[in-house]
Amino acid sequence: MNSILKLSRHFLKLEPIKYSNRAISIYPHLKLKEIYETQNGKELLIEGVHIESPRSKYSLKMEDANKCSLCALDLEVKHTDVLILSQYVRNDGCMLPRRVTGLCGKQQRRVSSLVTMAQKAGLMSNLNPANSNKDPKKRNGYKKYNKYFDESTLKKY
Amino acid sequence: MSSLKRVQQWATFARIWHIYDASWQNPFQSAGLLKKYLMGTYKPIYHPLNDCGDHVVVINSGDIALPGDEWKKRVYFHHTGYPRGASWTLAWQLHKKDPTLVLKKAVYNSMDGNLQRRYTMERLHIYPDANVPADIMKNISNQLATPREVPKRLDHYSEKEVEEFPKIMDYPKNYILR
Repeated sequence: MNSILKLSRHFLKLEPIKYSNRAISIYPHLKLKEIYETQNGKELLIEGVHIESPRSKYSLKMEDANKCSLCALDLEVKHTDVLILSQYVRNDGCMLPRRVTGLCGKQQRRVSSLVTMAQKAGLMSNLNPANSNKDPKKRNGYKKYNKYFDESTLKKY
Repeated sequence: MSSLKRVQQWATFARIWHIYDASWQNPFQSAGLLKKYLMGTYKPIYHPLNDCGDHVVVINSGDIALPGDEWKKRVYFHHTGYPRGASWTLAWQLHKKDPTLVLKKAVYNSMDGNLQRRYTMERLHIYPDANVPADIMKNISNQLATPREVPKRLDHYSEKEVEEFPKIMDYPKNYILR
């Protein structure tokens, strides 16, 4: 709809179309690197430096490199452990894929079900798309009331 | 009679007022627990004809929690007695009308249907939030332990707590942070 309006305005007033903020990044590594420009006389040096992940300072060191991180720790994660589960989601609440999380198949399936449980119980309501209603009490119908889940009902793989 | 025995005697025959915080508690699990105090079955002098039950004040009954999708699966049936007088109300619809009713019905149904049940229910005081009248609050001398732990929402942790919590997962090097 927006693009149609823009086009119609273009044809009526004969204005040039302006795309001021381009939200597409052509080079994927651009966002992890910071670009520095240094002028050395006639030489201009432009370099991209890797930014350190904000998590690396507090990340745990795994002893067993063969296992995935959750198997190595042997944790019994529940859907109320939002401080752990929130590490595996994007800031819109979506589960991250396995190539990013680095979990084994069993744990990936278990964590994604636990994330769903936590989201339904409204425990991670701040990790939601920007247009959604963040307060679980303002949800529609039966969804606004408190609910909990039993982890023993999860399917065992 | 020693002074300890004397106080024990008073405590046994007195009506104790208990308080119970129902937030994030399963009403049906809570009912079995509250029933014991309302009927006084935990007392050594208990007898069905012995009126020895305690008072229980339940607060935050509006914040009770049901497991899974039970809010829309549990149905309350009522019949007016006239033809086509049947009605079925879902648990969340009943809770919306009166946030004390799901818990009240759970306690009522957990007890045997005898002549004592209505009088036992008189000793149960349910409030949808933490606002309890002062004349009831002044009697309370005991708080009942809740079976379920109240979960903490992620946005109720401080930013520092979330940041400094040990990280199990770190992003791979080519990941684009959003």
